[in-house]
Amino acid sequence: MAQKPTPDDTEKLISGLYAVDAAHPLPGAGGGLPAFAVTDRRNNRGGLMAVQSLPEAPPRAQALNALSGWMDAGLLPPLAHGAARGAQGEVAWFVVSPAPPGPSLAATLRPCHEADLLHNVLRPAAAVLEALEARGITHRAICLDNLFRPGPGEPVVLGAAWSAPPASRQPALFEPPYSATCLPAGRGEGSIADDVYALGVVLVALALGRVPLEGMDPAAIMRRKLAVGSYAALVGEDRLPPAIGDLVRGMLAEDPEHRPLPMLLSDPINARARRVAARPLRRGQRPLELAGGPVWDARSLAVAVATDPEEGTRLLRSGAVVHWLRRSLGDPALAVRLEEVVRLRALDGTTDDARADGLLTMRAVAALDPLAPLNWRGVSLWPDGLGPALAAGAAEGAPAALLTERLGEMVGVEAVGHWAAMRAERADPTKPRTEARQHRTMLRMRGWGGGLPRLRYALNPLLPCRSKRLAGQMVARLSDLLPALEVAAARPEARSEQILDHEIAAFIAARHDQHIPAELVGLADSDQAEQVPLLQLRVLAGLQRRLEAGRLPGLAAWLAEQAAPALQAWRNRSHREALQQALAERVEAGQLGAMLAVLDNDMARAADARGFHAAGEVVNRIDARLAQLAAGGPDRANTARRLGHEIALGVAMMAMTIAGVAMVMS
Amino acid sequence: MTAETGSQVAAKPARGRAVPGWLLGLACGAAVTLATPSAVMAGLLLAPGLMALVLDREPGRPAARAALMCGAAAAAVPVLGLWQSGLGVAGAVTAASDPEVLAGCWAAQAAGWLVAQLTPLLVRLGLDAAAAATAVRLRAERARYESEWGIPPAEGG
Repeated sequence: MAQKPTPDDTEKLISGLYAVDAAHPLPGAGGGLPAFAVTDRRNNRGGLMAVQSLPEAPPRAQALNALSGWMDAGLLPPLAHGAARGAQGEVAWFVVSPAPPGPSLAATLRPCHEADLLHNVLRPAAAVLEALEARGITHRAICLDNLFRPGPGEPVVLGAAWSAPPASRQPALFEPPYSATCLPAGRGEGSIADDVYALGVVLVALALGRVPLEGMDPAAIMRRKLAVGSYAALVGEDRLPPAIGDLVRGMLAEDPEHRPLPMLLSDPINARARRVAARPLRRGQRPLELAGGPVWDARSLAVAVATDPEEGTRLLRSGAVVHWLRRSLGDPALAVRLEEVVRLRALDGTTDDARADGLLTMRAVAALDPLAPLNWRGVSLWPDGLGPALAAGAAEGAPAALLTERLGEMVGVEAVGHWAAMRAERADPTKPRTEARQHRTMLRMRGWGGGLPRLRYALNPLLPCRSKRLAGQMVARLSDLLPALEVAAARPEARSEQILDHEIAAFIAARHDQHIPAELVGLADSDQAEQVPLLQLRVLAGLQRRLEAGRLPGLAAWLAEQAAPALQAWRNRSHREALQQALAERVEAGQLGAMLAVLDNDMARAADARGFHAAGEVVNRIDARLAQLAAGGPDRANTARRLGHEIALGVAMMAMTIAGVAMVMS
Repeated sequence: MTAETGSQVAAKPARGRAVPGWLLGLACGAAVTLATPSAVMAGLLLAPGLMALVLDREPGRPAARAALMCGAAAAAVPVLGLWQSGLGVAGAVTAASDPEVLAGCWAAQAAGWLVAQLTPLLVRLGLDAAAAATAVRLRAERARYESEWGIPPAEGG
């Protein structure tokens, strides 16, 4: 019988249904992330798990939306997501999905027969990839650790891949070399062809009964794959079953366009027959000597320039690269393209302009190897991985700060647009250019409503707000912000600080689906410091109204304290006291809009200003009169003397008159 | 300089209205010639006033004029009595030597002089008191504005 959640439990439930049991971890179930058992409180059903997201690696919002209602077998789809407490009591974001039906393939790794591989691995996985492709989603976490099997002879199930940026947890072995070379967080959604590649590596491992290239570090794996090709690098001298070998050869093609689509893989016989011949790399007669070793082909040169952009810049600007391409490699067309890239460098900036050098190496890498990802001053990523890369750059520490700086430069020069223009034959550059321009506009927005934080939140819809004001509370959605601030308002030490900081403002601006509040610009303007409390109130009152949040007495009291200086701006004492009284009443009601109506009254403020002006004029007149009185002593003395004498003469005249009358009478 | 100029400007009309000195001398000469006893008696009775007229350096000689006018009021009856009795200079001297008459006249002149000295002081006191009351009222009004509108207090106030 279904059990109704109690009010206490509701706070801990994800989507009001799923209770995370942090005391019961599920090792190996989360594809490299912590996973815990989950109970569905409607029916106390188990068999579920919650995979925990790490703070700087947000879950995949697009996949979570696209896969809601997934009913097909063969995948552990997301069922719900939300905040809950982890094993250490910390609040984190969890994605709920079915628990794996059995152990991972890595746990039971042994050589598999061709028929088993085709029927129980390739076909079910290809069917899932086909369904994912139909929804516009990639998996990007196909590896031995994240494929599960209930038992021998059973079809495999693809594990959960929704709690971290795409491919960020993938071992380099299972990633195409052009993805493996990227930042883990910057590998991007990629395409279904990348999942096909990973599935191909899984087939090789299962066919061999061991992990190929085991023990080799990721950079060496990537170099080996690029040097000899992925198939040769992984299979080497080993022999694969004929059908598997033919299939895997296509699945591990360096060019994603040469890999078979999942639909084709569902029919292995036809897929096996499909052969795409890749053009072999042109090799130079003599190597180009670099600090990292000799380079014999353009792809290796692209890797060398991407790995050591400073030396790459030097060689490019000295003309050595163009000379080698023309004379040794014998590729005059590529040499001409590189000459054009070097010529553009002169237009981009002065000789010591690091950004112009960054553009130079980025364009050179794109020209030398159009399959390569964007490389900006040593940082490689696919453009759709910019958001997660920015999130990773928000972590503590110098490497993250350097990454953020590089990404900021990249966005500032619209590097993505320039990179896409260099490889127009691979993809239409219009969309990347437009997005690059939008990102730069966002970066350059004035005030706290713009900048890298805004871009970070805009590109990561489920990235929690990093503001220290929130004191560890999980705020990933705009609707979570006001309750979190209400909780934060209960901490006395927080009351001394401004409520909104750059992180919260950027978070609001990014999550606000309407216009960006203009107040966010003023918040960062030091010239309007006295206006900050009112601007904060406007922003938060707007949110409370729009989100239909309930009473917020704690936050209202916090705002009222901050607005106290703003009240002092009112000149008239009686009015000010009346406002304070009215504000106190509205604080108790916890209605920010009512508080705003009290404080933000332009007509009353104008009347107050006029009254103050008039009072000033009256006081000036009083001061002038007082000064006149103070300086009027001599005038009064003269007046007194004149008047006194006239009075004396008047008295004397009266005496004479009386005497005259008396004389006449006598 | 400005005050001096002002007092000169103020003195001119008074001088214009004043009886010319020669006319005053002619009148006195005529009085002495035609009514010598009365003139002698008036001279004796009004001696303090006349002396004040000489000594008073104030423009318009207000104190001397007040003293003379008060003395004249007091001397009118004795001089009329001498005039009616037809006595000569000796009689005038005798009548003027009457202590009661002489003291009365001189006391009247002293009173006139005193009034002329005191009334400016009293008027000054009145004006200063009125100014002080006005200042108190204005300061109270200013304090009310200061309190109501947050206007800073006056410097030194």
